[in-house]
Amino acid sequence: MSATAAPTAIDFSSTQHVPMSRLARVEIRKALDTRAGRWLIIGILGLVVLIEVIYSFAADNSDKNLQDYIQIPGFTLGYFLPIVIIMLVTSEASQRNGLVTFTLEPRRSRIVLAKFIAGVTLALSVMVLAVILAVLGTLLGIATGGDVSWHLDGGLVFYALFLSNMIGIFIGFALSMLIMNTAGAIVAYFAYTLILPSAVGILSAISDTFEKIGPWIEFNTAQSPLVSSPYSPTGEEWAQIVVAGAIWLVLPLVLGIGRLLRIEFK
Amino acid sequence: MIKVEGLTRKYGAFTAVDDVSFVCQPGRVTGFLGPNGAGKTTTMRVMVGLTPPTQGRVTIGGHLYKDIPNPGRHVGVLLDASAQHAGRTGREILTIGAQTMGLPLSRVDEMLDLVSLDRTEATRRLRNYSLGMKQRLGIAHALLGDPSVLILDEPANGLDPAGIRWMRGLLKSYADRGGTVLLSSHLLNEVEQIADEMILIGRGRIVAEGTKDQLLAGAEHKTSLVTALDNELLSKALQEKGITATPAGSGLRVDAPPVEVGRTSVEHGIVLTDLRAADGGLEELFLTLTEDSQRDELPGQPTTAPEGTAA
Ligand SMILES: Nc1ncnc2c1ncn2[C@@H]1O[C@H](COP(=O)(O)OP(=O)(O)O)[C@@H](O)[C@H]1O
Ligand SMILES: [Mg+2]
Repeated sequence: MSATAAPTAIDFSSTQHVPMSRLARVEIRKALDTRAGRWLIIGILGLVVLIEVIYSFAADNSDKNLQDYIQIPGFTLGYFLPIVIIMLVTSEASQRNGLVTFTLEPRRSRIVLAKFIAGVTLALSVMVLAVILAVLGTLLGIATGGDVSWHLDGGLVFYALFLSNMIGIFIGFALSMLIMNTAGAIVAYFAYTLILPSAVGILSAISDTFEKIGPWIEFNTAQSPLVSSPYSPTGEEWAQIVVAGAIWLVLPLVLGIGRLLRIEFK
Repeated sequence: MIKVEGLTRKYGAFTAVDDVSFVCQPGRVTGFLGPNGAGKTTTMRVMVGLTPPTQGRVTIGGHLYKDIPNPGRHVGVLLDASAQHAGRTGREILTIGAQTMGLPLSRVDEMLDLVSLDRTEATRRLRNYSLGMKQRLGIAHALLGDPSVLILDEPANGLDPAGIRWMRGLLKSYADRGGTVLLSSHLLNEVEQIADEMILIGRGRIVAEGTKDQLLAGAEHKTSLVTALDNELLSKALQEKGITATPAGSGLRVDAPPVEVGRTSVEHGIVLTDLRAADGGLEELFLTLTEDSQRDELPGQPTTAPEGTAA
């Protein structure tokens, strides 16, 4: 750095920085190389298969369309993909391997980016597998006597499967960076995704005012136009997604990144 | 080369590291010695950018750690051998390190061989490793990128005696090849035999530094261990001068420097078979220098073990 190089100065200029592609590849590996990580993903896909099989036998023959089958991973992944993310991030503190991660790449923002890339890549791969499973499910629907339609609504795929799950994994990122503890972040995620919308639902049932402001301040409620028919949110609904998303996604994400960049990994 | 300049790290009102400066030279093993809580780990954490300093800075080869590209290729770090995902196998931990640094996977096997972890052990998960095995894996991880600087926090912890000897040889030859080695310990005898240079730290402050000889040179001797043909006679002669002598082993422990004991023996014509300073060993120095940072009350007498045995 300084021009007055001491005789013992080391010249690092011929060494390349660790490229982002390598960091991201390592992060993907880290999500899958423990029993917990591997079985979580196998478990998620297994659950999708299980529900599709049960659905094939239980549902009305007129409801066995590709459109119906694709909703199964749509909401299954929503509950569990964020857990994959939470484990990937919080293990740096809970399992303490952050000491090594951040000495091999001390510029922490690059690790944050690598984890985002890894998380999105994993989520997309699981989604592709889920779509394949939905197609197989539909075939099972035919086999079980279904009167099948292969029609697929773009809104369903983009909003319900892709966008809402992407939002989910970034909620996972935000919570894990803020809480930096595996169990704590998982509890917080389920509180956010299960308890919060029920509470808002109850309050909305007893108060008209709350029914009006609920979608503006509660992100799950705001997202329901994304995951329910006709899968095309109105302008006001988009505005609600943006406002509630600013509160529940953008703000925690910014605070979480700030915390991860500063925190002392012990 | 590692250069620590005026490093201070505070936690609230508590000063964990207090204006610490020292240099670790290439080709030498520097021992960083101090009792528990002295600030060794904190200093090393600042070196590798895990803890920001309150004041001062550390440079490695003239650069801040965070400015070193692919630092694993230049600086080998072992801060805490247990700080790895407990569910990963030893081999997987090294593989992740090698992949991050961009090394061929053959490097993983080389390192496993170097630290004598066999192939079955390498397939076990870290939670099933003993402390000594974790320590070996940690050393393997630090050496993966063939770095020119090594920073090891208490690497001998949990190693068996053979392991400690092995590590000693490893670090010595590493320094002989021009590497810079900094290793910490709270045990003097772990460091004494490997370190060319020693930094003594107590309560966050450097209390002494130098080679072993330099450290010992300044020490004043106040007690002696002596063995005479007639210990009783010598004891009496000393007591006449108002000097206390208490039996110790086959001789006496005397509260006076050796020169005073020698003089007395000459005056009374008492034949001595052994006479030496009882204090002034490195351990004594270590204990005295870090005295106010010790947790435990020490007995009035120095704790140096050897009693006056006839040579
Ligand atoms: N995050 C922290 N908050 C408060 N005190 C700390 C923190 N980290 C270290 N300390 C304190 O700093 C002192 C030095 O610790 P450390 O560097 O680990 O000592 P050593 O490694 O020499 O045993 C200890 O008293 C320790 O409790
Ligand atoms: Mg320590």
